[in-house]
Amino acid sequence: MHENRTGWVSRIVTALVFLFLLAPLLVVILASFSPTPIVTFPPKGFSLEWYRNIFTSSTNFLDGFVKSIEVAAIATVVDIFIGVTAALSVSRYSFKGRELLIAFFTSPMYVPSIAFAFVLLQVTSRIGGVSGMFKILIGHMIIIMPYIVRNTLSVLASFNWTLEDAAASLGANPVQTFFKVTIPLAKPGIIAGAMLAFLYSFDEAVLSSLLSSPKFITLPVRIMNYMELSFDPTLAAISTILILMSLSLIVLMERFLGLDMFLK
Amino acid sequence: MATLKLEALTKKFEDMTAVDHMNLEVADGEMIALLGGSGCGKTTTLRMIAGFTTPTEGDIWIDGERVNELPSYKRNVGIFFQNYALFPHLTTFDNIAFGLKLKKLPKDVVKEKVRKILSLVQLEGMEKRFPKELSGGQQQRVALARALVMEPAVLLLDEPLSNLDAKLRVEMQVEIKRIQKEVGITTIIVTHDQEEAVSLADRVIVMNAGRILQVGSPKEVFDCPVSPFVADFMGFGNIFSGRLARFRDGRGEILCGQETLYAPEASCKGIEEGEEVTLAIRPENLILAEAPGRNVLGGRIRNVTYKGHMTRLEVKDCLAEQDLYLSVHDYEGEGAGTPVRVCLPEEKLLVYPREQWS
Repeated sequence: MHENRTGWVSRIVTALVFLFLLAPLLVVILASFSPTPIVTFPPKGFSLEWYRNIFTSSTNFLDGFVKSIEVAAIATVVDIFIGVTAALSVSRYSFKGRELLIAFFTSPMYVPSIAFAFVLLQVTSRIGGVSGMFKILIGHMIIIMPYIVRNTLSVLASFNWTLEDAAASLGANPVQTFFKVTIPLAKPGIIAGAMLAFLYSFDEAVLSSLLSSPKFITLPVRIMNYMELSFDPTLAAISTILILMSLSLIVLMERFLGLDMFLK
Repeated sequence: MATLKLEALTKKFEDMTAVDHMNLEVADGEMIALLGGSGCGKTTTLRMIAGFTTPTEGDIWIDGERVNELPSYKRNVGIFFQNYALFPHLTTFDNIAFGLKLKKLPKDVVKEKVRKILSLVQLEGMEKRFPKELSGGQQQRVALARALVMEPAVLLLDEPLSNLDAKLRVEMQVEIKRIQKEVGITTIIVTHDQEEAVSLADRVIVMNAGRILQVGSPKEVFDCPVSPFVADFMGFGNIFSGRLARFRDGRGEILCGQETLYAPEASCKGIEEGEEVTLAIRPENLILAEAPGRNVLGGRIRNVTYKGHMTRLEVKDCLAEQDLYLSVHDYEGEGAGTPVRVCLPEEKLLVYPREQWS
């Protein structure tokens, strides 16, 4: 009896939480198909007008999309090398200042990105001649680093380092051990971190809007600029596409890795 | 197959010496056990032989070749790790084939070798299972197979039986011995368990504080420990002090408080009359006596603990300074407070000079 009641209550709570989380997304998706320029709910009719507008609008969304992908991809790949190396060394060796180093690598999480952007802007304008893409890239590399370092660290925290000895005793040199044992076992953390980092970089707007140059504008900044002038369902259409993208990325991740690693 | 030689092998950590000028020669195909408590240096020795730790001083020779500077992956030393250290992301087959594949052996050779070794450890049909899908005993055998399949010069076993339940221990004990004899590989077992050491090894090496205390056959080490320390470690539960009063009729007369115990003169080698001594005897060598006699002490039972295959008795008042412990079969007597007579058979009594405690 008691168990049943708990089940009943928790089911309602679960449903409400899902509604709270999903309803806004649902509204956005429905609005993107609205035939009227003012977003209404429920929509009156069906139209793909705003999807067409993404490509024909004077604001070049497609260019922004490509640039965002560029920045996110480069920043993530570079950060995987730096972040995984950092995570490996702090978890394998115990040395003085180890905790400090971990705090250092994860600090961008706790510093407001607007402050970061300001400092970076100051520095780069002092140097002068730094391209918009490079500025944004540096900024993103810094702010997404914690995601890669932390996720890799969490996997390595339970890593059985004897496995490396075992590999060596079986004739594996350090490089072979690294690629055949250490990396495969740390992979779930690295991939999870990389995906989160990629998504964060991809929709980062605060830092990018301060650092972007007229020639280099990422998608979130273009969306913000567009929003200042008009508020038609084009944005809902873009949002719907972005939601779909994130969702497929998550599904891919679930397929290949299982989401349960986030529960650790 | 190979010989192993350790020469003045020493490992110092910042403020302590883990292994202190250790000398040891292991013959081809021999199985020896390094036996000692935690921190005695046995694991450090193992890690040095494996190449995971560099010696501070001394040399390691495998088959006449000095391997000090050789990295572990070039040493051809097989290791069985205490926690098995199976690769969790690989199947049984891939775990065992790991080293073979690195050697770039042809696929069918790898397959054949894995098949053979799996039949040796009796794990046929488990190729596709991941370590987490295997039982403890099966994982252990995979770990053993993985080390053996490389045909290492020397095989190191780190506490091979410590993680198993009683029944599996006996099975694996027999198994390891069978496989070792079948392959004829030079083997070193590291263990803190005297039973594991004497049952597996051809030769037992007792260590403490980085030094070798005794080297001998399992029987020698088990029956004739060289010092009270080794005796204590080998399960001589009764260790007490006395004074050798004099020799008479081929026996030494030893005063323990009010009591006099007799030991064969042969057991008292190197001890002078009047010297303080330490005596040791196993609980299972003490007998409950019917009547008073030589080496029979009167006392009272303090405690009876039934242990299944035997009963442990704690007897007070036999000796002034401490209780005596007995392991007896089929004890049907009374509990605490019962007066008993305990016989310490003289040929089982070990006598050591007092200062020789370690």
